[in-house]
Amino acid sequence: MLDDSEVRITRRRFLGYTTGVVTAGLWRLPFDSTRRSCVLLDLKEDCGLSESIAGYESALTSAGAMFTRTDDQWSSPTRCAVLIVPAAQDIPPAAVRAIVGCLHAGASVILESGAGFAGDREFRAHRAVLRDSLQVHIAAPVPLWPAHHTSQRIPYVDYTWPRSATVRDFSRVVPVEGKEAEIIARVDGLPVALTRPSGRGRLIFLGSPLGPALWAGDAEARRWLFDCLRTAGGER
Amino acid sequence: MKKAIGDNMIPKEWGFERGLELAKKAGFDGIELWLGDTTWLQMGTPDSAVRELRRKVENAGLVVSNVSTGLHWASPLSARDPKVRAVAVRTVEREIETAVLLGTDAILLVAGLVTPEVPYNEVYQRCVEALRPLGEQAGRAGVRIGCENCNAEQRFLISPREFWQFLNDVNSPAVGIHLDVGNIHDTGFAEQWIEIHGPRITRIHVKDVMTKRGRCGDQSVYTNLFLGDNNWPAIRGAMTKVGYDGWLVAEMEARYRYAPDQQFYDTAQAMDRLIAGRF
Repeated sequence: MLDDSEVRITRRRFLGYTTGVVTAGLWRLPFDSTRRSCVLLDLKEDCGLSESIAGYESALTSAGAMFTRTDDQWSSPTRCAVLIVPAAQDIPPAAVRAIVGCLHAGASVILESGAGFAGDREFRAHRAVLRDSLQVHIAAPVPLWPAHHTSQRIPYVDYTWPRSATVRDFSRVVPVEGKEAEIIARVDGLPVALTRPSGRGRLIFLGSPLGPALWAGDAEARRWLFDCLRTAGGER
Repeated sequence: MKKAIGDNMIPKEWGFERGLELAKKAGFDGIELWLGDTTWLQMGTPDSAVRELRRKVENAGLVVSNVSTGLHWASPLSARDPKVRAVAVRTVEREIETAVLLGTDAILLVAGLVTPEVPYNEVYQRCVEALRPLGEQAGRAGVRIGCENCNAEQRFLISPREFWQFLNDVNSPAVGIHLDVGNIHDTGFAEQWIEIHGPRITRIHVKDVMTKRGRCGDQSVYTNLFLGDNNWPAIRGAMTKVGYDGWLVAEMEARYRYAPDQQFYDTAQAMDRLIAGRF
């Protein structure tokens, strides 16, 4: 947070700072730790891609965002503006309760599927929890790369909300069905992310993990995340 | 300096023991064992059988120079699939275990593969993250992991300074470079890699390279020592400059159409002249 002395800078210097920060992709995010902040939910062994949580953590840290990393025993939805659940594979009941609690309390939840590399049984469980608890309908993972090798095309994920962004896919995406939801990202026409109001909050479901791209330092992925946090965190 | 040759150079129909005899007779001091590349050393080979391999090596009057593997080409540490990465980590762990059993202190690792699918930044990050704990594990076992510079094939860590930065980021005394002086092709000069990496070099692979010939079918860019474009006096001078006195390990392509054992003799003699600096 800025105190009064930090605010007393010239307009030119302020613009200089912000230009530099924007150029570096390091926007300061609008979370107020004294009120509601961003929470990163670490599902530990139920997280399908450990580098995904590292990616979100790294991006949030570099942006100077106030955030808390916690596990699925956490339960303070009223203090949460945005809940991020990286690379969820098996989603245990406690995590479902945390997600639903946040949505009911008016928070936004970014739920990232980590089931692209899951085995059949794990994927079926993943799909059932999403369908029964969050009314998100998904299809079996689609490996993008083998299909694209012949055409030599790079299968980027094209996001359309909250800003347009093009991010390298993570090779296997989990397609989504847009029932009563807005499709916010596609790969070659295949819907892979959605958003919709849920409770008093907003659910953002990502079928293509963003965390690994964040972890690898993809500037476009970071910009998308920060815009998403700004939009989602400021909705209420 | 001592000289070794890979057991994957042993003519297929010869078998391990006859191959060891050949290596000894040709004048080598040691043998590099390739995990997964030969029938006698596989991932599933039990410890007792690995100890038996050591006994055979020592009975032949040789020692094991290091443990290498080509398994990471199929299952790299940089794969996107966590299950593939787990296989890659297990392979390194088994290399460390077999190195201890075989009485050597170095293993080779092809650290990561940049592909159209898995971009450079991801490969870099995954390799650094994977090598930190593996370095600790290797250090505890008294083994050093040498990441090989497979410049053209890996499309990764192409320049010596880039490789230097990578090792800095891994930041483990147990992780260095297994330098292949034939792999640099026309992207640089082996002697400069030696100067830059000095004490971080765990082992040196030797072969010659024809820098102006691109791969075409089975037309290899690699050739026997002194037949290609490497500047061998400069390479030898750089070894002296940095005080490298370790193993030189022949990694030729087996290209002798007739009398394949002759490659062992020719290579050993060429390595003697390299070590002696007689050009």
